[in-house]
This record gives sequence, C-alpha cells and structure tokens, in this order.
Amino acid sequence: MYSRVADRFRLITSPAVFFVFILFCGMLAVYFSNAYPAIRREGVHLFLDNTWRAAEEPEEEYYGIAAAIWGSIYTSSIAILISMPLAISYSIFVVDCAPKRVKNVLIITSDVMAGLPTIIYGIWGVFVLVPFMKRYVMTPLYEHLHFIPLFSTPPISGFSYLSAGVLLAIMVTPFSSAIIREAYQMVPFRYREGAYALGLTRYEATKVLLGYIKPAIYSGLVLAFGRAIGETVAVSLVIGNSFNLTPSIFSPGYTISSLIANQFGNSFIYGHMRPVLYAAGLVLFLIGFLVNLAGMFILRRWKKNVEI
Amino acid sequence: MWKFSLRMAKDRVFIVAVSAFTILTVYPLLHIIYSVARNGLPVIMERGPTFFTGGMSEAGIGPAIAGTFLLVLLSSLIGLPIAFLVGVYAYEYPDSLIGRTTQALLQIMLEFPTVLVGVFVMDIIVLPMGTFSALAGAFALAIIMMPYVAVYTKEAMRQIPFTYREASFGLGVGRVKAIFRILVPLAKRGITTGILISMAKVAGETAPLLFTAGGLYESYPTSVTEPVGAIPLLIYTLIQSPSKDAHSMAWGASLVLLIFFLGVFIPIRRSLKVVRL
Repeated sequence: MYSRVADRFRLITSPAVFFVFILFCGMLAVYFSNAYPAIRREGVHLFLDNTWRAAEEPEEEYYGIAAAIWGSIYTSSIAILISMPLAISYSIFVVDCAPKRVKNVLIITSDVMAGLPTIIYGIWGVFVLVPFMKRYVMTPLYEHLHFIPLFSTPPISGFSYLSAGVLLAIMVTPFSSAIIREAYQMVPFRYREGAYALGLTRYEATKVLLGYIKPAIYSGLVLAFGRAIGETVAVSLVIGNSFNLTPSIFSPGYTISSLIANQFGNSFIYGHMRPVLYAAGLVLFLIGFLVNLAGMFILRRWKKNVEI
Repeated sequence: MWKFSLRMAKDRVFIVAVSAFTILTVYPLLHIIYSVARNGLPVIMERGPTFFTGGMSEAGIGPAIAGTFLLVLLSSLIGLPIAFLVGVYAYEYPDSLIGRTTQALLQIMLEFPTVLVGVFVMDIIVLPMGTFSALAGAFALAIIMMPYVAVYTKEAMRQIPFTYREASFGLGVGRVKAIFRILVPLAKRGITTGILISMAKVAGETAPLLFTAGGLYESYPTSVTEPVGAIPLLIYTLIQSPSKDAHSMAWGASLVLLIFFLGVFIPIRRSLKVVRL
C-alpha cells in the first residue's frame, strides 16, 4: 500500500483532473442558468412551436425552436441513411478484398477525411456540391416526382436539408467506418474459415459475418449521428438557414448549431433571444449526449461479449 | 460447362456494389483536393507572396495565418500541460471511481459540439473582458484540444508492456519518478504524435472561434487581449460575402489551410498505427 499522504503523484495530477471537472460543470452551469429565463418564459412551447419573432419590443418577442430541432435530427438522419451502405461496403472492401497497399491508402484516406478541417468541406459544399445536387439530383426529382411530399419543394437555391444531409454523410462516414472496420477485422478467423468451408459464396459468407458484428454497426452509426448533429460551419453554409418545419428534403432549413452560429452574434440586441439560444444549445448537448451514451453502451457490451 | 447460377450472379453483383460504394466513400476527398487546388492555385499564383504576407486591403491573408499560429500556440500552452496530466492520471488509475469518471468525461468532451464551447467561452471570458481576444479563442481551442491529448496520452502509455512498469517500481523509486522519469519517456513518441494531431485538428476549427476570436485581417496581431483572426474563420466570413473576389480569396485561403493540414497530418499518420479523431 502506498501511503496517501506521501503520494506526490496524486498531488501533481489531481489539480489538472479537478480543473477539467470544474470546467465541465461550469459549462453545464452556464448553459442551464442562461437557458432558464427562456424556459420559464415560454415553457414547453419553446421547444414545440415554430415561430421566430424577433422584435424591438421585448414583449413582442416570441421564439420556438422546433424547426431547428427538427432540422438537426432530420439532416443527421439523412446523413446516417446515406452513410450506412457506404461505411459497411468500405469496411468489407478494406478487410476482405483490398490488397495490402490499397488497404493502407484507403485507411489513410479515411483518416484524413475524418480530420479534415470542416470549413474545407463547407467551401466545397457551397460551391461544388450544392450546384451539383441542384442540377443533377433535385431538379430532375422535382420535375418528375413532385407529387411525393418528400420532393414537393421546388429547388430554387439548392440549399436544403438534402444538401446538408449529403455533406454530413461524407463528413461522418469515416467515423462510422472506422468503428465498423475495426469490429469486422476482429471477427475470429475460424468463423471465416467455417463459412467458406460450408461452400458459401463471398456474398453469403459476408452476410453471416456481418450478423456477428451487428452491434458494432449500430454503435458506429449512432456515434456518427452524434458527430453529425454537432457539426456547425459546414452545415450552416449549405442548409439555407430559414425556419421550415417540413418533411420535404428540398426545403431549406435550420439546425440547432447553425441557428446558434447565425443568431448568437446579434442576439444581444434583443431582450429575450440569448436565453433561447442557450436553451437550444442545451437541447443540442442533451441529444448528442444521449446518442453518444447509447452508442458507447452498445459497443462496450458487444466488446465484452466478444472477449468472452 | 459454365451454368448460370443465381448464387454466383448475386455474388458478382455484391462485389461490384461493394467496390463501387468504397470508391464513392473516398471519392469526395479526391474531388475536394482537386477543387481546392484548381480554384485556389490561380489565386495564389496571381497574387504571389503578398497573398501570404499582406493584409486584407492588399488581398492577402498574412494576419490570418499569423493568427492561426498564435491561437494554436496559446491553446497548446493552456491545454497541453493539463491534458497531459489528466491523461497520465487516467492511465494510472483506470479502475478507481475518479479514474473511470474522468474517462467518461473525456469521452463526453470529445463529442461535445464545438459551437457550444465557443458560446461558453464567450460567456465566461469575452463578456467580462468586454472584447473578443486571442486569449478567449485560444481558451476555446484548448477546451477542444484537451480530451484528444489526454486520450492519446493514456493510450500511448497503455502500449508500454507491463513488465516495464514492474521493473520501474521494482527499482524502488517513488510513483512520481517511475511514471514521469521512466514510463512517460518510453511513451514519448506516441504522446508527441497525439499532441501534433490534436494541434493540427484545432488549427482547422472554425465554430469555437466564431464568438471568441473576433477576427483581425488588416494588421498583424500584437496583443493576446485583442481580437485575432484565423484562416478557417476568414474562409467562413469570405464565403458568406456576396462578392466573387471574396470567394476566390476563400479558395486561396482554403488551399493554404489544406496544405498545412495534409503536411502535418499525413507524415504523422503514416508513423502511427491507430488514429482517433
């Protein structure tokens, strides 16, 4: 046993740990205390209404952030839907098909994509992706299928939930594929041998092996969702920034983070806007927190099962 | 004789689909690099060295480059020592209550939306000081950097074989000496790469600087308590301007940022086995 008094190691490191704890608690405290006035003033309606009335008279002001919450969840869901087949295929290809050198290049490429400054995705999204989406995806779909509610908004600018979702999908796929690839690599070799010994084709064998890592796939996608929902600048550049609450994926919208990025700077002019944005931040934090918790929980449970 | 079989056909379709999707996954990066180079290179060529040294009125991004370096330097000064100690702590006490809570906390902070960090720092530093400042921007970046550095430090230390640990304690030196004089130097390489990757990461951050750094693009930063610019922040501002000139300048600045990032990231990445971002 080390005597606690003489443990200089704790003495040196504890202040740093303490500092991080204080920082985190401070962060929560700042958000709760600043959001409280808005929640007290408007109650649940703050989160359920879609109105944004910024007025010079403080009594006239009324805010509902439902559109932003919807936009955050909607764009991230689109991103995950697109990202799912990409991440799974990428993992299969890297583990099963690619020769060693191609494999290394693919893994490094994916890591670079995970770390690439988001503003570079943003500038590419605005000037390359959005015009492309508008011309080759949104306009044809609208012309032929506009009776479907999903495609019912005319794509005037191209800035929309869909563009944001696609850009997010590109940005978060490296995160989910890193987790899925790692898990797929961990599948014991004897299962692979067994599958092929049964005379299964590659497709059939892969299907069986993917069943084995299903929890890892879920957690990869859930964690990617968490990333997507917190993303700010790239999304705020391509989503169009307007308050809409519609299922139409061609409609411009808002996400919580882009709402904060756009409005926080001038919220000081108004009487009641700032607390509203803090409340929105709190919602963003809570969604991200729960989603990440779920993802880590699934992954941890699965890893435990695998190790036994 | 080859007979048509549904199973084989499915197999072929499957392999083609997997390959196509894999290409689709990494293709955006190639296209991004291509677009940035194509649109950015002419701007840099045309303006020459003034692009790297001049202020906004000379169509240069010099102050933004200086600002980014200043911010990364300051945030490292604030964040690295703390994060390093937290990482060592998490390594040394992986199973104690505080150790486990610390690890959970690091995970949460890794995933914390960066724009919220910016708003938080605005509340605790910018508003009391009454002005945007390099200090506030650097503090926001430090908060983002800390969990990365701590996790990298912990992981690098865990790579050391347990026998080294036994041997160093077996020498009879205290815990402080065993860890900081023997084990940390053994993990030096892993820790350094972790630090460099984290620095490359925060150098590209935009959202935390939105409400903290303020922006300064005409002259070079002279004081840490005054507003400062940064390349990502400048790009974000330029994209939102309606003028074509601003857009081409944004492409030029993006190329500079991209080259910085790839120049730091790829060599480190090649020397490392696992990267977490």
